[in-house]
Amino acid sequence: MKEKLATLEEALAPIASGSTLALGGSLLRRQPNAAIRSLIRRGIKDLTVQSWAATTATDMLAAAGAIRRFEGIYTGMFSYGLAPNFRRGVEGGAIAVRDFSETAMVARFRAATQGLAFLPIKTLLGSDIARHNPEQIRPFSCPFTGEPLQAVAAAKADFTIIHGYVGDKYGNVQWPIVRDSDDIDQMIASAATRLIVTVEKIVPHEEIKRRPTLTYIPGNWVEAIVELPYGAHPAACDGHYDEDDVHLTGYLERSRTPEGAQAYLDEYARSVPDHDAYVAKVGGLAALEALDVPNREQTHA
Amino acid sequence: MPENKIDLSSDAAATTNEIVTAAIAREIRDGDLAFAGVGTNGRAFTLAVGIPLTAVRLAQMLHAPSASVYWGNLLEPDLSSMPADLKQDSFTRWQAAACPSDTGVKCDMLARRAFDVCFDSAAQIDRFGNLNITAIGDYRDPKVRLVGCLAQPEHFAFVPRPIVVVDLDRRVFVEAVDFITSVGHLRGGRSREEAGLSAGGPQLVVTDKAIFDFEPGSRQMRLRSLHPGITVEEVCDLMSFRPALPEQLPATPLPSAQELDLIRRVIDPNRVLLRV
Repeated sequence: MKEKLATLEEALAPIASGSTLALGGSLLRRQPNAAIRSLIRRGIKDLTVQSWAATTATDMLAAAGAIRRFEGIYTGMFSYGLAPNFRRGVEGGAIAVRDFSETAMVARFRAATQGLAFLPIKTLLGSDIARHNPEQIRPFSCPFTGEPLQAVAAAKADFTIIHGYVGDKYGNVQWPIVRDSDDIDQMIASAATRLIVTVEKIVPHEEIKRRPTLTYIPGNWVEAIVELPYGAHPAACDGHYDEDDVHLTGYLERSRTPEGAQAYLDEYARSVPDHDAYVAKVGGLAALEALDVPNREQTHA
Repeated sequence: MPENKIDLSSDAAATTNEIVTAAIAREIRDGDLAFAGVGTNGRAFTLAVGIPLTAVRLAQMLHAPSASVYWGNLLEPDLSSMPADLKQDSFTRWQAAACPSDTGVKCDMLARRAFDVCFDSAAQIDRFGNLNITAIGDYRDPKVRLVGCLAQPEHFAFVPRPIVVVDLDRRVFVEAVDFITSVGHLRGGRSREEAGLSAGGPQLVVTDKAIFDFEPGSRQMRLRSLHPGITVEEVCDLMSFRPALPEQLPATPLPSAQELDLIRRVIDPNRVLLRV
């Protein structure tokens, strides 16, 4: 097995402006926010972002003016309402959106996983989602029954970033037994071309190999793994810590204006040299530990 | 009066939320699998999550003991103990019969028509029950960018009995939605089937003033019942199109004393689900 442990900056170094980037996480869970802050710090631009239910990571990239095109099922702030910077970017014409429903996005990641150009669905017949995207959603007839189907193009990304729970230095990432599984992170990982994973904690390989059924991202798929405690902050990592309501409320308050959003990014992304400095900026580990949820039986510490 | 300030003693009059919850519960049949969303906050939470979950639980307790819910990625969550708040850990710890390894499992179940009922809300709904949760105005240059689409297209494409829960408002009830996220009865008549979709489409639209269904044949929205004290004129004033009106227009039935007691004392005693 190859050791794949890296610093965040080393792991993200190959990602250049203009890339297509697939992001893991769903709603306010496991958004790869620390990695996104690092990309913003570097001034990356012109990204095509592919995502499941996007919140903080995509909205911060939008605030940074880094997204040219978005393809996904949702962008909002879950219980906090609409995503203000993404909304501003789309309404102002800076971000082009191609919407996909859940079965469509699942088919796109599964197609990429299987090395296929497309997979069929029949969800979007008659929908404006298909009408506005003939480039990636095309009608055809089932070769067996003749029924109308739609081919949805594979979601091929140059780079994929996922924030996971725990992993080892070889890039094997495990989920806890009790978790919120309302996401498709494993599928997004399996579709990846170059996969970068950040995790809450690096654990010994001996712990991983005792329970290999919990490994949802095999190290074989991974290019680099980075230990980043609270790497999803201010979103949650289920089983580890809850979302930071005070921070999220402040983010949304400041994001009411473009200037406020820039000041937020200056303070929490651009002016901090790395994730450790970010943790210090938001009050240090002691402050973040207040968000921790109780460890439960059979979950990783 | 806000729902959280109301008198919850057992003989207090039913609130609007309680009336629509009981009405929806009566639509749930034994053995139904119902999909409920996880979304949003405030009134939108009550419409998308609070009323549907309370209604299915009420149905389970009265006439549909084997009805169940798929909520988030939990199949058959224990509705006898709802999460006390909306923080992530309360969702993570909610007990359920199954928590499939990813949401693709739910998508596959939708596509093979494993669901009977689903609940949806929307920013716009039109005469033929098409929904928009994507964008207001021109899609390419929107006045308001909304959240996208989630699985709402799947719900209308594959679930036989979708129930829309939304407040009556002229900006919401429009002649034609700006963007068809979910295909309802499309342009009426057989246009839905001609587009290749299976029979179905939205069956009921439950609002804070009245309940609608869809007229067979034309498939246009039709007023089915008025909540107590509401007139046809009031309803039509809150819509940008005129719904079909049946000859007989009954009042929406009030919850029974037993239904009210279960909602208030057993299902939602802390008024988390029907708060606003």
